[in-house]
Amino acid sequence: MPEGVAADPDVALMLRVQAGDHDAFQELFRKLSPRVLQYTRRFVGSEAQAEEVTQDVFVQVFRFRHRYKPQSRLTTWIFTIATNLCLNELRRPERHLRVDIWDRRDDDDRREGPQLPDPDAVTAEEGAATRQLARRLEEAVGALPPKQRAALLLSRIDGLAYRDVADALGCTEGAVKALLFRATQTLKKSLHEFLPKED
Amino acid sequence: MRCGRAQKLLTAAVDGELSPGRRAALDRHLAGCPVCRAERAATQSVLDALDALPMVAAVPAALEQATLRRVRVLAAEEAERTARSGWRAWLPLPALAVTAVLVLAIAITRTADDRIPTSGARSPERIARAHPAQSHPNSAVAVAPPAEPPPALAAAPELFVDLPMLRNLDKVKHFEAIRTTTLDDETPSGEEAPSNG
Repeated sequence: MPEGVAADPDVALMLRVQAGDHDAFQELFRKLSPRVLQYTRRFVGSEAQAEEVTQDVFVQVFRFRHRYKPQSRLTTWIFTIATNLCLNELRRPERHLRVDIWDRRDDDDRREGPQLPDPDAVTAEEGAATRQLARRLEEAVGALPPKQRAALLLSRIDGLAYRDVADALGCTEGAVKALLFRATQTLKKSLHEFLPKED
Repeated sequence: MRCGRAQKLLTAAVDGELSPGRRAALDRHLAGCPVCRAERAATQSVLDALDALPMVAAVPAALEQATLRRVRVLAAEEAERTARSGWRAWLPLPALAVTAVLVLAIAITRTADDRIPTSGARSPERIARAHPAQSHPNSAVAVAPPAEPPPALAAAPELFVDLPMLRNLDKVKHFEAIRTTTLDDETPSGEEAPSNG
């Protein structure tokens, strides 16, 4: 087992799950599900679907717990499962009939249905421009092609290197760099009014 | 390094994912290119904004309960499968042995029945099984006459009439009388009656 992985408390938790400790699974769920749920929310854009996918992620983690080898970080493995399930979810034809949180307009705060976490909760002191930037950013991320969205969101998960993102997406590091370049170019165009101007 | 190439490296540069050699080449280009410096600043702003977004969401209690319930069901199913597979581990050898003995016994019994006639009458069912064409009352082979003569005879009808007796029939004296006589008939005058001697 690599040294960094051995010190990872998530891996120790997973080893307990593999040994049949059901309390360890609950602990694992409580520790990682908030990040997985936020990831799936941004990925699939629907609150209800994000919860379904998150549930499926942890059921898969349990079902295939013996396939996890502690050579890699647990988060890489779990977010690989989450990414695959999100991509599957986006391919489902009936999905197009569902409400999509990315359909929200700036002036549409009273719309019923799923809502993203209120950006005010994190950035209250930063003013209206920052809140608007956060909202526009969420929308722009939601409009990215699924593979670019996956690469971008995975690369923002703490500690996930491009190599891990490539593993999760089943592609090369070079392909990840290309996906991220295209994704950031799109985001820069969408958010140009919020970005610093040229020298 | 050209601007297009430099800008493709900006995201990786901001994320610290460039090799030292490429990083140095990019820095040299940025030092002399205000357009790419502005692009770099924009990339940095976008990625900073992304990192500033909340990375966690409040998980509803219902989601946790539903997930743990599914996992408990899954664990119970796994335990049941494991228990069943424990039985199966012991099952194959005795089961195979018993099956083999049964199959052998049935085969021997059937072979003996077919070879040795039994003292009792054979049942109609067994006869029917052995000779279906003969025993079936509606069998076309057993009851109906042939619709057509065999092809060899149909092609040579003379085989029917070329019998010596038929060929010499006209030479037989009193043929007509023989053919038409009855016991009451009298011998016509002037003609000898056929004799046996």
